[in-house]
Amino acid sequence: MLKLNRLTKRFGGLVAVNEVSFEVRQGEIFAVIGPNGAGKSTLLNLISGLFAPDLGTLELLGKDLTQSPPEVRAWHGLGRAFQIVQPFAEMSVRENLLVGALFGKPGTPMSKAKAVVEEVLELTGLAPKADTPAHELTLLEDKRLELARALCTQPRLLLLDEVMAGLRPAEAMEAVELIKKIRASGVTVLFIEHLMPVVRALADRVVVMDYGQVIAEGTYAEVAANPRVREAYLGRSA
Amino acid sequence: MILAGVLLLFALILPALPLGSWQPFALDTAQFAFLLSGLALSWDLLARTGQLSLAHGAFFGLGAYTAALAAPALGTLPALLAGGVVAAAGSFLLGLATLRLHGMYFAIATLAFSEVMRTFVLKAGFTGGSIGMIVAPPFDGRFPLGGYYLAVTVLGLCVLTSYLVSRSRLSYAMAAIRQGEAVARVLGVPVVRVKLVAFLLSSALAGLAGGVYGMKTLFLSPYDAFSLGRAVEALVIPIFGGLYTTTGPLVGGLLLVGLETWLRLRIGEGYLVVYGVLLILAILFLPRGLVGWFSRRRGGRHA
Repeated sequence: MLKLNRLTKRFGGLVAVNEVSFEVRQGEIFAVIGPNGAGKSTLLNLISGLFAPDLGTLELLGKDLTQSPPEVRAWHGLGRAFQIVQPFAEMSVRENLLVGALFGKPGTPMSKAKAVVEEVLELTGLAPKADTPAHELTLLEDKRLELARALCTQPRLLLLDEVMAGLRPAEAMEAVELIKKIRASGVTVLFIEHLMPVVRALADRVVVMDYGQVIAEGTYAEVAANPRVREAYLGRSA
Repeated sequence: MILAGVLLLFALILPALPLGSWQPFALDTAQFAFLLSGLALSWDLLARTGQLSLAHGAFFGLGAYTAALAAPALGTLPALLAGGVVAAAGSFLLGLATLRLHGMYFAIATLAFSEVMRTFVLKAGFTGGSIGMIVAPPFDGRFPLGGYYLAVTVLGLCVLTSYLVSRSRLSYAMAAIRQGEAVARVLGVPVVRVKLVAFLLSSALAGLAGGVYGMKTLFLSPYDAFSLGRAVEALVIPIFGGLYTTTGPLVGGLLLVGLETWLRLRIGEGYLVVYGVLLILAILFLPRGLVGWFSRRRGGRHA
């Protein structure tokens, strides 16, 4: 589905992402975890095309998209919800979703896009807020909008950047159920998360990053037992 | 849109109204108001993508000079079209250079573009340089109302384009780019293409308006045709009338030109001071322009 090969990004002297390689398989929920500053968000920006890599390649569904701008990646089935919610503030919730539905796949007719929007409004529980201006939403609703808008592009692979941050435990569990539903509908999910219970509940496989590098890969139980991972999170013993 | 239709109809029959000795003055003022409203509508089209242009005075001037230079050889209508095309070509070059610029940086780049264009026309031989050039009236002066109706036609085109764009999927792309370009791209909005389309449409309309303007004033100089003042008017009108709408720049342009003319007649010397104060008041107390003020009042009554 998604294949990263030695993906690297430098900012001046800092190597934010250092030769990261892994493969996300069709239909799985894949987590990227790691301490603050490990390079997870930079990695997501490389995958969605907002940053150009200094080295390495990226393949989505068998196509090399290393040099493609974000919109082309979107057309090839890549969707993304941002960590810092960025709704189009002057638009209503419905109009926000319509942007994703209209342009996520080139040439989508208006009638089809509107149908997709109504479906996603129902799925994400935003239907009662459909005509609310986006700048009047609560944080929880903003997060849902962020996710819903990405879904409207009808992605094959959905990138989620800490969508649970700032949610209360009950709300986070609600979101977990929603992500399971999304996967059940045939969408592969790659997510970054700090909340370990969420990772344990969702992830089929986990990659752990530290200082820009992948230090472990496997199931949640496997990486949780890995001494290098414990070291990265808890600090190195003297 | 109904309002826009009524205004355009009124513009069509204005020459037939019994205005007596006021008629020539009224038609002349109206023609200028139409062209300036058209320019404002064209500026607003580009502004919808979040790009604040100070180059619309230059597009206007490019259209004016091109049409004036081409008219003797091509005839009035093809010359006006050529003006639109040359303005669009200029905007294409500017657009390629400024696509990655935002906000203030974009505005400064467009300002630099206007200065370059003005200097070019000032120094080039075939434009008459700083002396300026005489422009032939439209259709060799055979139709006294020809220029007036050309202005009505150009305004109609601007209104129609603005309206059609706001009804189309393009409007969602433009608004998305304006409110968050990176997010828009990640959602699949073809940002570069949308910005270029906005550039081309906007500058071509500005160029058309400029062409008719030159044939109205019968004389062009770089200081007038490429004045920064015109670029500022192109953005003040939509802000006063209501940004990102069709009605806003249309009504704003007609009202502001009307107001300016009325003040000049009533006060004479120093009328611009009063005009400026009124503009500042309007921008302070009508943050969303006339259109925003009206729609809020109407909304309030319903609630």
